[in-house]
Amino acid sequence: MENEIEYVGEHLIPGEIGNLFIVVAFVGAILSFFSFFKATNSNDSSWKKLGQYAFITHGVAAISIVACLFYIIFNHYFEYYYVWQHSSSSLPLRYIFSCFWEGQEGSFLLWMIWHVVLGFILLRTTGKWQAPVMAIFSLVQIFLGSMLLGITISDWFSIGSNPFGLLREHPDMVNLPFIQNPEYVALIEGRGLNPLLQNYWMTIHPPTLFFGFASTLIPFAYAVAGIWTKQYQEWIKPALPWTFFGIAILGTGVLMGGAWAYEALSFGGFWAWDPVENASLVPWITFVAGGHLMLVNKNRNSSLVATYIFTFLTFLLVLYSTYLTRSGILGETSVHSFAEGMPGQLIVFMSTFILMVAYLLIKNYKNIPKIRQEESLWSREFWMFIGALILGIAAFQISFSTSIPVTNKVFGTNMAPPEDAISHYNSWQIPFTIIVCLLIAFAQFLKYKNSDKQKFFKQLALSLIVSVALTIVITIGMNFKNSLLIGLIFASSFSIMANLDYWLRVLKGKLKNAGPSVAHVGFGLLILGALLSTGKKQIISYNTSGININLEKNEENIDPNAQNIFLAKEDTLKMGEYYITYKNAKKEGVNIYYEVEYFKLNQDLKFDYQFTLYPSIQTNEMMGNVSEPSTKHFWNRDIFTHITYAEVDPTTGVENKKDEYAEPEVVKVGAQDTVALNSSIMYVKGINKELDPVIYRLDSNDIGISLIIECINSKGKRFTLEPVMIIKGTQVFPIQVEDEELGLKLAIKRIIPQENSFELIVTEKKRNNFIIMQAIVFPYINILWLGCIIMVIGSVLSVYYRIRKSNK
Amino acid sequence: MKKTHIIAIVLIAVSIGVILSTIKDSSSFVSFSEAVENPGVSYQVIGELNKEKELEYDPHENANLFSFYMLDAEGNEQKVYFHGTKPQDFERSEQVVVHGKFENNEFHASKILMKCPSKYNNGSTELQEFNAEEVS
Repeated sequence: MENEIEYVGEHLIPGEIGNLFIVVAFVGAILSFFSFFKATNSNDSSWKKLGQYAFITHGVAAISIVACLFYIIFNHYFEYYYVWQHSSSSLPLRYIFSCFWEGQEGSFLLWMIWHVVLGFILLRTTGKWQAPVMAIFSLVQIFLGSMLLGITISDWFSIGSNPFGLLREHPDMVNLPFIQNPEYVALIEGRGLNPLLQNYWMTIHPPTLFFGFASTLIPFAYAVAGIWTKQYQEWIKPALPWTFFGIAILGTGVLMGGAWAYEALSFGGFWAWDPVENASLVPWITFVAGGHLMLVNKNRNSSLVATYIFTFLTFLLVLYSTYLTRSGILGETSVHSFAEGMPGQLIVFMSTFILMVAYLLIKNYKNIPKIRQEESLWSREFWMFIGALILGIAAFQISFSTSIPVTNKVFGTNMAPPEDAISHYNSWQIPFTIIVCLLIAFAQFLKYKNSDKQKFFKQLALSLIVSVALTIVITIGMNFKNSLLIGLIFASSFSIMANLDYWLRVLKGKLKNAGPSVAHVGFGLLILGALLSTGKKQIISYNTSGININLEKNEENIDPNAQNIFLAKEDTLKMGEYYITYKNAKKEGVNIYYEVEYFKLNQDLKFDYQFTLYPSIQTNEMMGNVSEPSTKHFWNRDIFTHITYAEVDPTTGVENKKDEYAEPEVVKVGAQDTVALNSSIMYVKGINKELDPVIYRLDSNDIGISLIIECINSKGKRFTLEPVMIIKGTQVFPIQVEDEELGLKLAIKRIIPQENSFELIVTEKKRNNFIIMQAIVFPYINILWLGCIIMVIGSVLSVYYRIRKSNK
Repeated sequence: MKKTHIIAIVLIAVSIGVILSTIKDSSSFVSFSEAVENPGVSYQVIGELNKEKELEYDPHENANLFSFYMLDAEGNEQKVYFHGTKPQDFERSEQVVVHGKFENNEFHASKILMKCPSKYNNGSTELQEFNAEEVS
């Protein structure tokens, strides 16, 4: 640098403070880890005190980092790269939070903050477990804190990425001319938050999901603490409420992702087995398995090793999930992998914890209590154990298929992800779900150790009969043919009925202890709703605008794949049970809304207005044009519509082209003929040879002839057109007629007397204002959402009563 | 035989099944010249759009047919028919992955993945996926 530029108007103080807090948080975590580690091994209370102070310092520093980051985002200090990259001054205030966690640094910070929040609670509640549990927390915080350091050692090696980096120092910017201007700050504007993320789901989904991720650390830390301090079973009791709390939160986060995909993205469903979705689902599955094994162990000390494995696996899978989504390795396979490179550090993070738990398990394997005696087939714990194994296998299957890009990288193979991902995953996951639902249904009726078989069958009989009846009704009523799906209908109904029955008859409908039953009913409903809505989803947007398709390609020949309807402006077409009209397009902000009205035909053959949907296209500068769906919700079904194609004008957004006349075509007709044109049906009603000689100035030798043609447009409106031909001696005068509303010009070209027919020149308006739309009906999808809510309520209930019980 | 042994055997069997099915269901990335040898078999081809040739899409005629010329990694050109609407901003794509198969010497794609240069993210790309609709 020859001469340093003095920049004007930069706000460097908050960034410097932020950086200071990053260092304090990092050092605090190291100190806290070291002190709690010492405290665990020496039982020295002064180490413990030091650890507490260090962790509190770390936590306060982490909260201060968040405050600094919010401060610069809130004040639009675009001299910071993060602020420039993720926000703009025109961004509505309600999306400020979304900018915060849109970027990688922000999302690590969010994760770290949740650990701080949980850590502060644990500092007060862990009692004798404090030192080892907090040591593990601190160790994790060291790794997360290092992600924010942003220390560049050489071109190819750096530790973390700093959220307070300056725009003018960013590697992509240093050579750009604008930074030569000392007053650049006054000139720059942030590039803004990706409009796709500007909706309320982006405000609530990431924090919930990360809270869920953070909560997996608590049972993990307790389990490590258990082995570390050789209290191999005692850790389960304090960890149990946290585990089910975490299951509820993480489950909510995952389901919110599905709801977001369904409501705001045009995936055409709520679950697509997308790698990023899978990456968040898999830890939840192992979390559930681990939680249930913990229950088994609390009542009977069996399968302790499996409990450890699942509890460890859950947290490790959260790390793996972060690696998959954040390292960019999914690249070609996922629609929404966030390709930013920082894999090395995450691999070190993961390997450290894998080696740590592997070492602890192997070293202490002999000491972990095991039951030599086999469990009875008629015991609850046996089937809960089987259930956990099934969940483990299900998680393994999803993980293994999702990890194809990782397998390629590690083994140098060249596998591509399954062609039809949905049926690949379903072919395994449906059988697993059937077994899990059956286990959920009957396991509660068994007692720990051993049960009375007769009583067991007697208690189950009622719900079994009801579910069989329900299965028959659904199968016939909705015409299910696939035996695997029928199996799932039965299994999910059985799990709903049996748990309802257990709650009402065995637990006498009391809220206390109702948690598990309620959560299981919710799970059964979720599965049943998912099955009915996707198994019988129906695409209703077959192209009924037969009028747009050439005559040769009549209805039988329509491409069976054609699932998109062509809607010209003002046209009314039949779609499913509705008639729909594309009325207008409006641009509001970055979105173009297409107003589509829905009608039903009543008995008098008149259209009754039903409702209007506004599917939209977002003119997104970062992602290109993105289609956003619009859905009509009924109690028993949803009508989901989205635009699959529209010609979008880059400046005004809304197309308002004039309909122009297309090239004329010659059509041969005779009297009483019916011809389908592009946008109307033409009927040759008659031939008029008696033209008024005065109007047409006909002499006695002249011949005047006209065709009386009736046209019906797509709305059923009738028009009459009368093209005329006058022959004066050897000269022929065709008189063209035009109907502006119908968009049609007709002229007689030639009369063919020997065939008694005519050649007509037909010129039609080309419909330049149109949209192509897809519409899908999802039946009974509300059962799915109801199931989600009930499942979460059940989990919360069980956590609540478990905490109350343990406090007594 | 103890119950645990039965469980272990079943567990191992299912795991092997999972691994085999993933390998079986996974397709592979090939060039057009390999794909043409096995008509009717699905492949994934990586390549790029030939921007010099015309993209054919006439929604007035058939809203569900879009065709374009693609160059695979070896530089072979192939006309690709996609039975769906034309993906938004297809012209901007940098890299294209098509899932599909040869039928009557024509390549019919069931899915298109495209990478577009992001206008803002310097150097990075955005990925988008488009599916032809399944026959129900």
